[in-house]
Amino acid sequence: MGKQEFLARLEEGLSGLPQEDIAERMGFYSEMIDDRMEDGLSEEAAVAGIGSVEEVVSQIVAETPLPRIVRERVRSNRRLQAWEILLLVLGFPLWFPLLIAAFAIILSLYIVIWALVLSLWAVELALIVGALGGLAAGVLFIFRGEGLQGLAVIGAGLALAGLSVFLFYGCRGAGKGALILAKKLALGIKSLFLKKEGAR
Amino acid sequence: MDIQLKRGLLDVCVLAAIKDEDSYGYKIIKDLKPCIELSESTLYTILKRLETAKMLTVRSAEHDGRLRKYYRITAAGLKRIEEFKEEWKEIMSIYQFVVKEDRHG
Repeated sequence: MGKQEFLARLEEGLSGLPQEDIAERMGFYSEMIDDRMEDGLSEEAAVAGIGSVEEVVSQIVAETPLPRIVRERVRSNRRLQAWEILLLVLGFPLWFPLLIAAFAIILSLYIVIWALVLSLWAVELALIVGALGGLAAGVLFIFRGEGLQGLAVIGAGLALAGLSVFLFYGCRGAGKGALILAKKLALGIKSLFLKKEGAR
Repeated sequence: MDIQLKRGLLDVCVLAAIKDEDSYGYKIIKDLKPCIELSESTLYTILKRLETAKMLTVRSAEHDGRLRKYYRITAAGLKRIEEFKEEWKEIMSIYQFVVKEDRHG
C-alpha cells in the first residue's frame, strides 16, 4: 500500500470525527511516512511500519471521547429550516424523554455489568465472614464441652474458606472481563455514531 | 506493567527525548528505540497529552518542501523530569530493600 492509499483509507475510517482531528491525524501520519522514507525506507515499507489502517482507526476512535463524536455529529448537520426548528420545539415532549431513555439504557448497561461483578464480590465477602464465623463458633462450642458440634461447625467454616479461595479467582476474572466489556460497549456506542455519519 | 505506571514513564521518556533540543515525531521514536519501542499512534497520544498539560509546545516548520512539527519542552516539562528523578530515588531505595530481602530469604 502506498502513502496516498493509506491516508485515503485512514480518512475514510475516521469520517465522522471532527474535521480538525482528522486533518491533524492525517498530517501526523503523512509526516511519519515521509520521514521514514527520507531515512531510506521504500514507500511500501514506510507505510507497512505504521501498522494496519484498521488498528490505527480503532485506537484513534477509542481515544476520542464520546461527547466529542456526538457534538461533531450534531454540528455537521446542515442548517435547520424554520419548519424543522418548529418541529423540534413542538416535538420536545416526545424526543426529550426518548433521549433520556437512551442515556438511561446505556447507563443501566454499565450498571448491570458492574452489579454482576459487585454481587460476586459480595458472595466472596459472605463466604469469608461465614468461614471466620464458623471457626470462631466451633472453638466456642469445644470450650463449652460440645465437641462434636464444634468439629462440625469448624468443618463447615473450613469448607467455606476453601470455596472463598476458588471464588476469589472467579471474582478477579469477572472484574477483568467487565472492564473489557465496558470498553467494548463504549467502542460500540461510538461506532454507532460514526457509521451513521459515514452512510449519510 | 501497570498501565498508569507505564503511561507516566512514557511521558517522561518523550520529555527527555526533547529536553536538549527540539525534535520531531520520527526522531523521537528513533531516539527512544534503544530504551522503549513506541508506535506512532502511541506517540501521538503522549504528545497530545503533554501539549494539553503545557509540558511542551508545538510549531510547524518547513523541511524539504513539506511541513514538519517540532516539539519543544517547557518549564513545566523540565520540572516534570526533575520530579521524576526525585520520585525514582525513592523507588530505587525501595527496590534495593526488596532485592536485599530476597537475598536473605
